[in-house]
Amino acid sequence: MFGLVHLVPGDPVRLALGTRFSQETYDALRERSGLDQPLVEQFFTWFGRALTGDLGVSFRSGETVTSQIAERLPATLTLAFASILVALLIAIPLGTVSALRPRSLVDRVATVISQFGISVPDFWMGIVLILVFAGTLGWLPSGGYVPISEDPGAWLQRLLMPALVTGVVSGSVITRFVRSSMLEALGSDHVRTAQAKGLGTRQVFTWHVLRNALLPLVTVTGVQLAYLLSGVVVVEIVFSWPGLGQLALQAVEARDYPVLQGAILLFAVVFLVINLIVDLLYTAIDPRIRR
Amino acid sequence: MSIQPTPGPPPYQEPDDARRPETPEEPPGGSPQRETQSGPPSLRPARPRWRETLSLLAHNPTAAIASLVLLFIVIVAVFDDTFASEGANDISVDERLQSPSWAHPFGTDDLGRDILSRVILGASVSLKVGFFAVGFALVAGTLIGLLAGYYGKWVDDVLMRFMDMLFAFPAVLLAIAVLAVRGPGSGNTALAIGIVYTPIFARVTRASVLGVREEVYVRASRSVGASDWRLLTRHILPNAAPPIIVQTSISLAFAVLAEAALSFLGLGTQPPNPSWGLMLAEGRGYIELAWWLAFFPGMAIFLTVLCFNLLGDGLRDALDPRQRTLMAGGGK
Repeated sequence: MFGLVHLVPGDPVRLALGTRFSQETYDALRERSGLDQPLVEQFFTWFGRALTGDLGVSFRSGETVTSQIAERLPATLTLAFASILVALLIAIPLGTVSALRPRSLVDRVATVISQFGISVPDFWMGIVLILVFAGTLGWLPSGGYVPISEDPGAWLQRLLMPALVTGVVSGSVITRFVRSSMLEALGSDHVRTAQAKGLGTRQVFTWHVLRNALLPLVTVTGVQLAYLLSGVVVVEIVFSWPGLGQLALQAVEARDYPVLQGAILLFAVVFLVINLIVDLLYTAIDPRIRR
Repeated sequence: MSIQPTPGPPPYQEPDDARRPETPEEPPGGSPQRETQSGPPSLRPARPRWRETLSLLAHNPTAAIASLVLLFIVIVAVFDDTFASEGANDISVDERLQSPSWAHPFGTDDLGRDILSRVILGASVSLKVGFFAVGFALVAGTLIGLLAGYYGKWVDDVLMRFMDMLFAFPAVLLAIAVLAVRGPGSGNTALAIGIVYTPIFARVTRASVLGVREEVYVRASRSVGASDWRLLTRHILPNAAPPIIVQTSISLAFAVLAEAALSFLGLGTQPPNPSWGLMLAEGRGYIELAWWLAFFPGMAIFLTVLCFNLLGDGLRDALDPRQRTLMAGGGK
């Protein structure tokens, strides 16, 4: 990953200084950023510092990478969790209903909706929403981010549209999983046994179908959450949402290696942590996994 | 990974229900960041006949319509010069920002260019990038998956760990990084998307190969002295192909989406060439003044992606061995 980041051509020092600068300032900045060292050495210096929580200083702004990431983190966390909430609110009812009544009208409608959500370009949907709700109706602001501590009302207003867009896309993916895993659970032997021993429909559903369908649901929700947390770059751009995706894109454009490395390291950590949580949830849901 | 509930046969569903046995491993929506494998790799029957597949596909109305629409889009894209009015990139200030009319069914943009013509030209750009990207991923990924699955051991370890590394990267960022290395443009966009999707093909192929590697016909062929190459090309690849074919169609959908997203960010196709994503980005600034600028290119992306997805679903149904036995066994 470190290698890939440094493959990006272009000289960050030159970009940071602009067009007019003397050779001395150039050399001084290069030395201060450690860019005159061999790449391998740069890597170990960076890695050693990263272990102690020091991710370096941004070439572009001069701020520390940790503070830049910390600044963006609330916006990304807000959007990711709001989107997952929207996604689950769509996916669980829709997937359940269509699994219970396969091939019915409801199922067909649900399939059409999820197919729509998977195929629609999220940034286009964002633009259309802005057109309708911010432009024509004038109900919502077209973008930006306000911390909840400053103004909860404005926070919610600005969160609604981006969360809806990413939520619909993730929700569509999750819906298909819910449907197929429920169909599988509904058709399994233990459900038939439960029915045969005379349990009520509700009981069979909660204890035998739902529990078994929960495992794949947890997995796919985890994957979607990791994806949302790594920054939905394009949606962030459309809604001027100051999240991590935007930061990473800007870092690529400015060849801001420390920021890019920091962001990617964070994404990797997020990925691992979510996988760990998913695994822990498995054991909570499925006692067979506990040893 | 984990113990999954045993699937078991579907005993009490109406026979109709089982007609669409969706595998739980559906492709991701906006996110290619997921493990994708199609269908159980075991129980693969003899070589699927493409005629049979086609006829099954023709009996699936959704997939049939999707294929027809796709065929139409491809024809339009191939003969874009004929369909688009001449000088689609020519600027004409007198005609700027006209709403849809007979002369310009999709209206004109801020530089007076006919949007319909540009959507048609954009089709050829988007499809080209899509086909090249998926072609790259298909060839590279299938090759890697074949080798990893067939030879196993350290070959498998080295190749698949490398694929995992690529896979762990957030897809959009990986594509952006490739574009930052290679510079923007259609060709590099195709390469970037191709690299992003290679691990998915490698995984699907490997899983599929593992399923057929120890089949009796493969062992029989090996015992009469067939070479590795012959085994791979004549026995393993054809029998491991169905999930790869399904993956191809679905990946085309995502490749078109990804091209649009990258061009939207200004990293893909460069102006004045029209690309749907680029047109969307250009139209975004005029959204309240002239909605048609962003609306029609978006519709074009949506329709194309939808059709590739529907075709992929149809192919999955047609190629799924369980589905086949079911249909042959007198199901509708």
